[in-house]
Amino acid sequence: MSDAKAILKENLWSNNPIFMQVLGICSALAVTNLLVNTMIMTIGVVFVMAMTNLTVALIKGFMPRKVRMMVQTLIIAFYVIIVDLLLRAYLPDISRALGPYVGLIITNCIIMGRAEAFAQSNPPLISMWDGATSGFGYMAVLLTIAFFRELLGFGTLFGIQVLPDAFVPWTIMVTAPSAFFFLGIIIWIGKTIMNREGAAA
Amino acid sequence: MNKQSLIYTVIFTFLVSFVFVTVLAFANDSTREQVQLNQELARQRAILNALNIEYSGPDDVQAKFNDITVVNENGTELYQAQKDTYTAVAKEFSGSGLWGTIRGILAVHENMDRTVGIEIIEHNETPGLGGRIDEPWFKEQLRDLRIVDGAIQVSGAGDGDEDKDNGEIDGITGATRTSDAMDVILSNEISTFQSILGGNS
Repeated sequence: MSDAKAILKENLWSNNPIFMQVLGICSALAVTNLLVNTMIMTIGVVFVMAMTNLTVALIKGFMPRKVRMMVQTLIIAFYVIIVDLLLRAYLPDISRALGPYVGLIITNCIIMGRAEAFAQSNPPLISMWDGATSGFGYMAVLLTIAFFRELLGFGTLFGIQVLPDAFVPWTIMVTAPSAFFFLGIIIWIGKTIMNREGAAA
Repeated sequence: MNKQSLIYTVIFTFLVSFVFVTVLAFANDSTREQVQLNQELARQRAILNALNIEYSGPDDVQAKFNDITVVNENGTELYQAQKDTYTAVAKEFSGSGLWGTIRGILAVHENMDRTVGIEIIEHNETPGLGGRIDEPWFKEQLRDLRIVDGAIQVSGAGDGDEDKDNGEIDGITGATRTSDAMDVILSNEISTFQSILGGNS
């Protein structure tokens, strides 16, 4: 399956949804101040994206072009509500911590972007794989941002104190503006490495 | 059949919506009991926490909760627990925070001398900032705090006010408006308690 490998590399690196396509920025800013929240939220995104792509690829043959996007939105909303219900029933504490952010997965542009760009024109299984790997690309960037924000903003990682008490937490790391800086830095590093690769090739 | 025709589009949209909504309705129905159970358990746990009663598992919560006397005072439900030297009274509260309603339980000594404790059931404050009102260090400040001049002041910001006799607690760094909201909520609650219990402080 060289196809699957190529998709994996593309979605994780050369066409990463965040730093190449610059999609899904709103949630990258909002949920990345604690690693645990980021983790659960991005797992939700991976699930929704994989299932949406699978479903869209399965029914695309029956879909009239006019209502294509509307139906995609319906499918995305469907899976997001399923995730929300599961969290509420079986992980009530995490559901409480994430609050409105689970519902906001619906508005994540990466999901619709992949459904429209990939699942509409590819078979079901490879579409599902594309959705999942796009989700992993998103997860990787968000976890990197969350790692630094939680470390510098709280002195903790996954809620465990790692920096000494003498460390003064940077309040700005907890608020959304710091994610702008980190996102900028990550895009900068990513693009620089990519340009070098391009020049070498 | 022409997939781009109006009739087909309408029928397709209707069917897709129907199928997805039906599945959602089933999913919602099958998790509802569990969700309600979680909510009820969360409420009972909150009341026990506010009243400073320790418990272990979910069964223990139920058992300890059954020892609490529920009194209805002019439409307000009060939860009374007999302690060694005093009677603790808890009541549910709700008030507006920065983004939405903050709901919780506040418990005081029957003679309105000190608070017993607080627990937050639901809030929509900014995660990592105002959202820290449900962190232990914040709630711990209201454990056995003296009520001075019939009020509790949320003053300044810090890591938690250790002085249990000054009637003050620390607000949250970077969350001034949530701290202000808590100040208003606490003052309102103390005066409500005073009118119900006829306190002497």
